[in-house]
Amino acid sequence: MSTLRAAWLVALKDLQLELRTKEILTSTGLFAILVVTLGSLAFYTDPVSAPNVAPGVLWISILFCGILLIGRSWALERENDAVYGLLLAPIPRASIYVGKTLSALVLLFAIELLLVPLCLIFFQIQSSGRVLPLLALVFLGSVGFVSTASLFSAVGIRTRARDLMLSVLVFPLVAPALLASAVATRELFAGATTTEILGWMRILTAFDLLFVGFGVWVSRYLLAET
Amino acid sequence: MKLDFEEVSVAGLAKSYGPTLALAGVDLSFSAGTATVVQGANGSGKSTLLWLLAILARPTRGEIRYGQYGVKRADQLRARIGFVAHQLQLYPGLSGHENLVLAAKLQGIPFAEKRATELCEALALGEYWNRPIRTYSRGQAQRVSIARALLHEPRLLLMDEPATGLDVKATASFVELLRQEKQHGAIVIIVTHEAKFARAVADRVLYMDRGRIVEREA
Repeated sequence: MSTLRAAWLVALKDLQLELRTKEILTSTGLFAILVVTLGSLAFYTDPVSAPNVAPGVLWISILFCGILLIGRSWALERENDAVYGLLLAPIPRASIYVGKTLSALVLLFAIELLLVPLCLIFFQIQSSGRVLPLLALVFLGSVGFVSTASLFSAVGIRTRARDLMLSVLVFPLVAPALLASAVATRELFAGATTTEILGWMRILTAFDLLFVGFGVWVSRYLLAET
Repeated sequence: MKLDFEEVSVAGLAKSYGPTLALAGVDLSFSAGTATVVQGANGSGKSTLLWLLAILARPTRGEIRYGQYGVKRADQLRARIGFVAHQLQLYPGLSGHENLVLAAKLQGIPFAEKRATELCEALALGEYWNRPIRTYSRGQAQRVSIARALLHEPRLLLMDEPATGLDVKATASFVELLRQEKQHGAIVIIVTHEAKFARAVADRVLYMDRGRIVEREA
């Protein structure tokens, strides 16, 4: 079976589980909304400073929410040792990683679709012409972050220090991509056009390709029998 | 292309977990159409042997051959191996039927839904096959786990305490099912502490102690 076909089956399984329980979306979605709400109340001073503060609040919210979401997603695999059901199947090991990354990305993006308008409203930022490039930025920033966090969660299946590993290793690794995302978002909020932030988008795309490519390559070894 | 083999053999098989030697050099062979029961005290290496044969763990030393194939062909060999582990390895949020459909699709079985339904019926999963696994009793979930191992008609069937939670009637049906699998040429290896169940299915009984085979009984 091809890696993509198997990954699709793994991702569908995750989404099917989530649609049934709504456990991950509810817990992480509420958490993300709370961070944006608290951030807007605590840091909002005036319409001039808002575009400088909002990107930080938005990306902190996405970051924490993403870590929580990916941790929960891989915890499903540890329950009943269910991941071994996947490891017993004649599928490429990388497909498990790709499938888990894909489902986490879909769930995170669903939360971001709610988070972005909330952020624009709470910080009173002009939304005309900004929503689509902002969603594109948020998506590009999330791909690299989710693929890296997912990779370390895959390692965490066999180690007890999984939470420590996620926070200690993932944040420094994805820092360049997150910084690029935050700066691009700040420029967009400050009035930059889509063309003006295209350079940042290219950098983010390059990071994404690097992170995803590395994840696919290394996951076959991480998920191999030990 | 599906690989096939008539015999599984292990030579000098050893496995260590850090300083703990779980398997200390085992030489064995298993033929098609036979059932081998492995018994022994807790920690004697029985489950480790199954995990190595299921290609879920890598031996520290020694070799496993599936007919003419080695574990380098793991991805293809997995299509010929069925494994019932001590842990259920099922998703608690999915129903028994959904777990089986997922496994069938991952095994590349055509008409996955139909095959899953057939097995639900064969294992008398009854009216609860559409409820989430987390609502099942251990015996009910164990039947799903057995069904999952049989889905793809494996040549090598590995089972770790498969009768756990099964009632008398379900155990009798399971014994019958194993006889049929043997008749179809399966290589069945079962780890169990239940002497009565072992007698009902075994062609050969192996006893393990501290990672070694210490006794063989036909």
